Formats: sequence, structure tokens, C-alpha cells
Amino acid sequence: MNGHSGGRHHRLKGAVNPGAVRALRMVLPILATIAILAPLAWLWQASRVPSPYSVMDMGYLDYGGGVAPHPGGGHGGQMQGHVHQSEPSRLITDLVVDAARPADVRVDLVTRHETLTVGGRSISGFTVNRTSPGPEIRASQGQLIEVHLRNESVSDGVTVHWHGVDVPNAMDGVAGVTQDAVPVGGGFTYRFVAEQAGTYWYHSHQVSNPQVVGGLLGSLVITPKSGIAQQVDVSAVAHTYGGLRTINGKAEVLRVPARPGHRVRIRVANTDNGPMTVWTFGSYRLLAVDGTDIHQPTEVSERSVTLTAGARADLEVRVPGDGSAVRVQLSKASAVVIGPAGVDAPAPPQPSADLDLLAYGSPTPLGFDPAHPDRRFDYRIGRRPGFVKGRPGMWWSINGHLFPNVPTYLVREGDVVVVHIENRSGQVHPMHLHGHHVVVLARNGVAATGSPWWVDSLNVSANETYDVAFVANNPGIWMDHCHNLKHAAQGMIAHLMYEGFDTAYRISGPADNQPE
Amino acid sequence: MRTTYKVLAYLVAAEVAVQAMVMVWAVAGLGKWVDGGGVFDKAVIEGAAESGALPFPEILGTIVHGINGTFVIPGVALAVLILSFFTKVRGAIKWAVILLVLVVVQGKLGFLGHDLPLAGAVHGLNALALFGVALHTGRRVRNRTAVAAEQPEPRVATPV
Repeated sequence: MNGHSGGRHHRLKGAVNPGAVRALRMVLPILATIAILAPLAWLWQASRVPSPYSVMDMGYLDYGGGVAPHPGGGHGGQMQGHVHQSEPSRLITDLVVDAARPADVRVDLVTRHETLTVGGRSISGFTVNRTSPGPEIRASQGQLIEVHLRNESVSDGVTVHWHGVDVPNAMDGVAGVTQDAVPVGGGFTYRFVAEQAGTYWYHSHQVSNPQVVGGLLGSLVITPKSGIAQQVDVSAVAHTYGGLRTINGKAEVLRVPARPGHRVRIRVANTDNGPMTVWTFGSYRLLAVDGTDIHQPTEVSERSVTLTAGARADLEVRVPGDGSAVRVQLSKASAVVIGPAGVDAPAPPQPSADLDLLAYGSPTPLGFDPAHPDRRFDYRIGRRPGFVKGRPGMWWSINGHLFPNVPTYLVREGDVVVVHIENRSGQVHPMHLHGHHVVVLARNGVAATGSPWWVDSLNVSANETYDVAFVANNPGIWMDHCHNLKHAAQGMIAHLMYEGFDTAYRISGPADNQPE
Repeated sequence: MRTTYKVLAYLVAAEVAVQAMVMVWAVAGLGKWVDGGGVFDKAVIEGAAESGALPFPEILGTIVHGINGTFVIPGVALAVLILSFFTKVRGAIKWAVILLVLVVVQGKLGFLGHDLPLAGAVHGLNALALFGVALHTGRRVRNRTAVAAEQPEPRVATPV
């Protein structure tokens, strides 16, 4: 203070001890500083995660209105060790297919950190069997797939997650949850039965944000026993390397030879972190979404299909009878041209509207009744300032909480589960539940009227709500996270956990498991 | 304390200028890239920082803008507020609070703009207010000390 307020101070000083005033003037700024910094320091401290830790100890348990397995299970706190149950629990490592059953399809996958050449550019990335994407794995429905993974040179370690395949939990390939990351020189064997025909993909779930962006992925196709009705079956794995859009690893139009009149099944997989729009000129049918057939799909035209990050869609197009070709756009930047060799097709205009899967195809029984669920969960996504892992920022929240104080959804085997997903975060989120497919009941409160719309990766745009349902029929501990892998790395990860199961694996630890 | 307070207030103004510059730099780079056949979408945006291979170099501008706006500027504005408690300059706390409030509002508007683009327009306008307040906050300390030097504080005997 200076002279301008001297008179007023004079009166004040007349009433109190000047020494006390001086002391107060010294102490007040310090107190004010503490009042600002102390809460920040507390928030910072509270956001740090121990190393190593078990996902069983993360956040708080959400019973969804169902039965709590044991009283007082550590609600509200974080990292409290809430589900290391006193009663004996089964380790998820036991959740495997019959070890005595011989494999029908055997695949060796070798992962390397190396330089990729994409569209004439050299990009540091990751390969599987020296290519990115890695080799396509094809199996017939009912076959047992056995994959031998060997990590040759990815220093952070690798795993393989079978995106969209409801494998036994021990085969889910999530570092620190279902296995340890495979170090350089190490290996891991995955065995699972190809039960559901459809289009899937595989990718690393160790340090997945840079590894998947860098190309550690590949296609997995399970064909029905009866075969498919189309004459041509082609996979189109879309991936962006350093800003270059590619299909099957090539930054050029994918040309598929087909005769006039042929019906073609295009299996599109979006392996990027953002939604991708697919469209064509003329009509097409959307045969399947996320590895599940649409019931009685009709011909559609002037509508695009949006694939969220991680999603797949099988489209059927017909090669025109007049010798021309058909062109399918995978975003503005890449395309598939199908038709007689050497025949090109112009880029079709992008439709102004999307195909609404809420009302596409015909209804058919779900096989369970979601009207009276055993558990009802909320997955409300927000964004707020705070600390995550000791770092300040604007972070994604789940039900108002920041990582690691996020919900763990607890279910019992056989439960019918309904989840209300709500996005108030201002950005789109591709929500991916491992080990299960969920059926969409409603979007923004409007009930589904078309074919059952089963997904494993759901595009939840800003300000949208979804009500989804599933049957808890695949025991274990499953990630339920945003498949914009950058967002997952920022803490947008919850888990679905079955009562009575535990994991021996740890996040961090000697294997340095970092699933995001 | 006063000098640090002043310098940090000026730093906020400088950072606001940097924020404007890097965004226009990024948008200009984007325009040039699109002109050359590039297609900008969510996959490109989300992959930009991770792959280590930028689609176009100017996209760095958006990354710098994000880091500056989320961490650096709020941190500096908070430091200005804390320093204001110790400067013993009249109005220092008031202006530091105004500065911090504008920074918080600016951040809110920036993030809101992802969903509500019009908020982005207000973000641009608020940047000018923030720039002005940051300059004023820094300048008035100099003015005040100059005034104080010319007119020494009258000493008043304190009755016991």
C-alpha cells in the first residue's frame, strides 16, 4: 500500500497494534498463496497412480442396482483394493478354450519396429510379418484359430487384441489386465474359436496409442460355414499413416477386378482414431456391422455409412452390367474401384445424410429381454479441468470422475445389462466394450425400430445419448473404453468386471504394461 | 516481486500474440496442403501428434496452441495472481484476478468451440480483451512505481 490510502490506514492503525498489522500484512499473502496452491497440490497428489497397480483396485465399484457381492466394498475412494475378495476368486488366466483341442488355423505373427514406406514417404512405424497392415487372418466359422506371436524388435513390448471377437478373457490381449506385454524376444500364443462369422481386426493393446497409429494391426475375417452369397469378397482396411490415407497399406485407389453383374462384398475396417464416412454412387446394401449381420438389409442410395474408430461394415455393391465400374469412397481421400480391369469410375458425390441404423433392416427377436435388466449402468462422458496421472489439463470424465477414480461396472454371469451412454464432452467418442457385443435400444431417447443393431464400437457424437443392452455371458475383466486411443491414454477407460474373477497381472510392473 | 509480476503479465500478452500467430500459421498451412490434394479429417487430426510424421508441418501450430492455452497461459496467469499478493501495488490483485478470469473464460470458450463453433468466434474476441488486460496489468505497475518515486508516501506518526 502507498500514500493514497494513508488516511484510512491511520484510523485503522489507531485501533490495533501496529506490529500485528505488519505481521498480518506479511502473513495474509502467504495464506492466500497457500489457499490457492494447497487444493491444487492435493488434487495433483490424489491423481497420481501407484506403480504397479491392479485394475481391480481402480476407481469405485458400480453395482448398477444389482446385488453387491460383499458389504462396504470400498465405494468412493480410489485405489482402495476394493475387489480383492475374501472368498476365493478365479483367475482370468483360466478362461481359455480347451487346451486339448487341436487348432484348425495356425498363424505366426512377428512384430517389428521399422520404417514403413507409404506413398513414397518413409515413416517410422510398426509391422507384423514385415508389412503394415499385417497379414489378413481368415478362418471359417467354428474353426479354432491359434496365433503364435513373437516380438522381434518393438521395445515397449506388444500384445494382440482381437477387436470385436468375443474371445475367452485370457485371450483378449490387454497388457496388464489379461497378460503381460510380450518383450523383445518373447512370445505368446492366442487360441480362440471363430464362433461368429464377420469382419474383425487385430491390433496391439500395449502402448496402443502410438503402436496402432504406427501400424501394428491387421485384418481378421471369419467366413460363414455356408459361404457368402457374393461372387467377390474383398477386405479394405483403412488406416492413416502420417496424414496419408491408405487402404490395405497403400496410398492409392484399391482396384478390385470383377465381372459385370457380380455382387461384391466389401469388408471395410476403420483402424484410425476418428470416424470415417463410406459412400458410393447408386445403391448398395449394408450387410453387417461390427461382425454381426443386419436382418433383412434393404437397398440404400444417397446415404453414407459412418464407421466409428475401430468399427467395421460389410457393404454389398453390384458391378454394373454395362462394363463400367463401381466406386466406393472411404472418406474423401481413399476409394475402392470394382469392375472390369482398367475401367475407372469417377468419385461419387458425398451424400448429405447418413444411413440411420436405428431404422435400417427388419426387427427380429434379440434372444433376451432388455426391458427388465438385472443391472443398469450410466456411462456419462464429460470434460473438465483437473489432474490425471499428476498432469494438469482438460480431461475426459466418466460419471463426473477423472481417471483413475472411474467406475468399474460389476456384473454376474447371466445378468441382463443396460447401459445409458451420454456424451457431454463436446467431442465424438468411439465407445468400445471388449468381449461383448451390445445392441442399441435407443438413441437420444428414440427407440430402435429396424434390425437389431449390434455393435462393439459405437459412434457417440457430442450431445448424443445411447441406451444399449447386452447379456453378461463372457466372464472376466473387460475394458470398456474410448477407441480414440489418444483419449484412452488420457484416461477414458472403465472396466466391466464379473463377480468372482481376479487378475494376477499389473499395470506397469516388471513387464511395464501400459495398455493404452 | 513487482518486476516478476510485470514481466509475467507481459508474458501473458506475448503468449496471446503467439496463440493468434500459430493458429493462422496452421490454417494457412492446412489451406496449402489441401490445395495440394490433402484431405483433412478426424483421422488426420488425431493421428498428427502420435505418428511422428506430420501431414503438413504447420499442423504444429494447433499443437502449440493447445499446449499454450491449456497449460502455459493458465499457469502464468495463476503465478501473476500469486505474485500480486506480494507486490504491495494498489489494484494489483484486482487486475490479476481479472486477468485470470479472462484466461479461464478463454479456455472455456476454446473447448466449447469444439462443439459450438460460434463460441470460437467469441474466443477470438476475448483474446483481444485478454491481450489488452495483460498489457494494462503489466504497464500499470511501472506507472505506479514511477508515481510513487515522484511523490513519496507521506509518513504519518502512529499514535500509540
